[in-house]
Amino acid sequence: MKAHAEARVISIKWRLLGLLLVPLSLLLGIGLFIDYRTGADSIGGVYDRTLGETALAIAAHLRDANGDGHIDFDLPPQAIAALRSRGSDTVAYAVRRFDGSLVDGDAALDFSLPTGEQTQLFDARLRGKPVRVAVRAAQIDRTPLVVAVAVSTHQRDSALRRILASIVLTDLAQLLGTLALVWIGVRHGLRPLRSLGEEIAQRSARDLAPLHDGAVPAEVRPLVHTLNALFDTVRGAARAQQQFIADAAHQLRTPLSGIIAQLEVLEREPVSPTVRQRLQALHGACKRLAHTAHQLLTLARSEPSATTHEDFGRVDLEPLVAEMVAHNLDRALDAGLDLGAECAPAQVMGNPWLLRELLGNLVDNALAYTPRGGRVTIRCGRDGASVWLEVEDDGPGIDPAWREQVRERFVRLPGSPGSGCGLGLAIVDEIARAHEADFRLDSGSGGRGTRVRVNFCNN
Amino acid sequence: MRILVVEDDALVADAIRRGLETAGYAVDRVESAEHATGALAAEAFDLAIVDIGLPGIDGLSLLQRLRRDGLALPVLILTARDGLADRVNALDLGADDYLVKPFALPELVARCRALIRRSRSAASAQLAIGPLVLDLGAHRVIVGDSEVELTRREWAVLECLALNAGRVVAKDRLLQAIANWDAEIGANAIEVYVSRVRSKLGNSVPIRTVRGIGYRLDESAR
Repeated sequence: MKAHAEARVISIKWRLLGLLLVPLSLLLGIGLFIDYRTGADSIGGVYDRTLGETALAIAAHLRDANGDGHIDFDLPPQAIAALRSRGSDTVAYAVRRFDGSLVDGDAALDFSLPTGEQTQLFDARLRGKPVRVAVRAAQIDRTPLVVAVAVSTHQRDSALRRILASIVLTDLAQLLGTLALVWIGVRHGLRPLRSLGEEIAQRSARDLAPLHDGAVPAEVRPLVHTLNALFDTVRGAARAQQQFIADAAHQLRTPLSGIIAQLEVLEREPVSPTVRQRLQALHGACKRLAHTAHQLLTLARSEPSATTHEDFGRVDLEPLVAEMVAHNLDRALDAGLDLGAECAPAQVMGNPWLLRELLGNLVDNALAYTPRGGRVTIRCGRDGASVWLEVEDDGPGIDPAWREQVRERFVRLPGSPGSGCGLGLAIVDEIARAHEADFRLDSGSGGRGTRVRVNFCNN
Repeated sequence: MRILVVEDDALVADAIRRGLETAGYAVDRVESAEHATGALAAEAFDLAIVDIGLPGIDGLSLLQRLRRDGLALPVLILTARDGLADRVNALDLGADDYLVKPFALPELVARCRALIRRSRSAASAQLAIGPLVLDLGAHRVIVGDSEVELTRREWAVLECLALNAGRVVAKDRLLQAIANWDAEIGANAIEVYVSRVRSKLGNSVPIRTVRGIGYRLDESAR
């Protein structure tokens, strides 16, 4: 479907080029034709005039010396020889009476003049060669004569060829120059559109900041304004969703924290062992409920529709890791685990709250799955342009067959401890994606345990 | 010792009151910022626990008002919102600690105890953590009933850890505490001083190494 639509819509550039180039080429072609015709006519005119003059000169030298009707040619042989050749062209002439009998000249040159005409010019062939012929009436002492002069067309044709060549060359150069100018002009004229397209293409999908409309031409401004209005709507929707999540979190947490705190108070009061047991079960269920609610809200908050670039900034990973270790230290000590860190300075562009949730979930998993006596290490650092964050444990590890599935929502490993809700790695996945980071599950060092590494490439 | 709880949710407020009373504190509870201002003006409290989401004037505005009025009592902020901005905001406005709901009651009690101890040590120049007593004015250290002699740098390390008892103190921060005395101390020196302090104080005062981060003086042996 898409390919069809694309094939049918011609790009603006090609449309402009087509609309400009086709008529321009036609106009230039017509110009070329007219130029050639004009040049050919004027050269032909010059040659014809000379030919006519030659005929006239021949006629002027005819004499009826004796007055007996016998016509003589009173030119010396050198003059006749000069008359006969003109550069590379050869000239033939013939003088005839009106009855066709030859008076002088080339017998092969036999053209009559229609009655009433004084001169005639035309192309003909003489002994198979193309010639230009001038035929002229003359009157020598009452004897009407016809003088025909034929000249070969070498010089005229080569002059025409030269003219044609020069006209075609200049006109072609003009055509090509125009094509180039049109091409450059169209490209240049469309540059604002192209740069707008590139600006949009380079933006991350989460960047909802309005496009700058100062540098765009008036024709494109409505498009930019519409896009900005759309961005504005999406931004508003994201903000509304964030507000909803924040309100939902507040409304869920307040009663839950009341219930949990009350259960903690009750557990300490002198009650029968069965009641205590039931209280503890209730307490555990409430904590799980609170955890699940928090995880669901975190997941909702990390989704693309709820996060915008406005919440992103430079985040130092080192203090984040230190805070995470401090926050989880007592839990790790209670579980008999050695929780520590190995950090190098590292900064990412990110949302600090989301990154905290990402790391929190990784540490949470490591602490939950690593048996007593184990070791959990949080690391951060940078390799060239890439910044990474990692949590490694020496617990049982994740079967490679499960490593893809555990990223999905509500998927839990077989034999998991009872407290989780199966959203941890889905949240990590979502938050990593929001940061254009990739997230990998591997075995820890020496093939033991689990190592989860998040690589941030957008720095 | 008297604690003011500013919390509009009856269930939460009641549980906090019971938890703190069991731990030996006297507790007064009000439901709004307006009532809190009145209570704090009328009587002396050692600590205020303030919920951010109060009806009318919210908890952060109350905190701001208290600090502007020159009230120095420690304030623990409670919130059901999880935005990091709230937390940074609260600490900037002069909160001493911050806890997100739902919280575990024992943690709330522990934090209250630490906050009160710190504010009292500032007033009395004496700090007591289990068997350890620090005389902050005279730089004397007593464990049980015997005095322990510490060098100036060892004292600086212990003082920094004791003032932050129960919290992880980064190596860098300890380094700064020592470097006040004179310059040029390598990061490795911290380990040396901490291990000397440990051996001088004995096992009754647990200084825990937090791998890769720093140290924590535990409030009670675990």
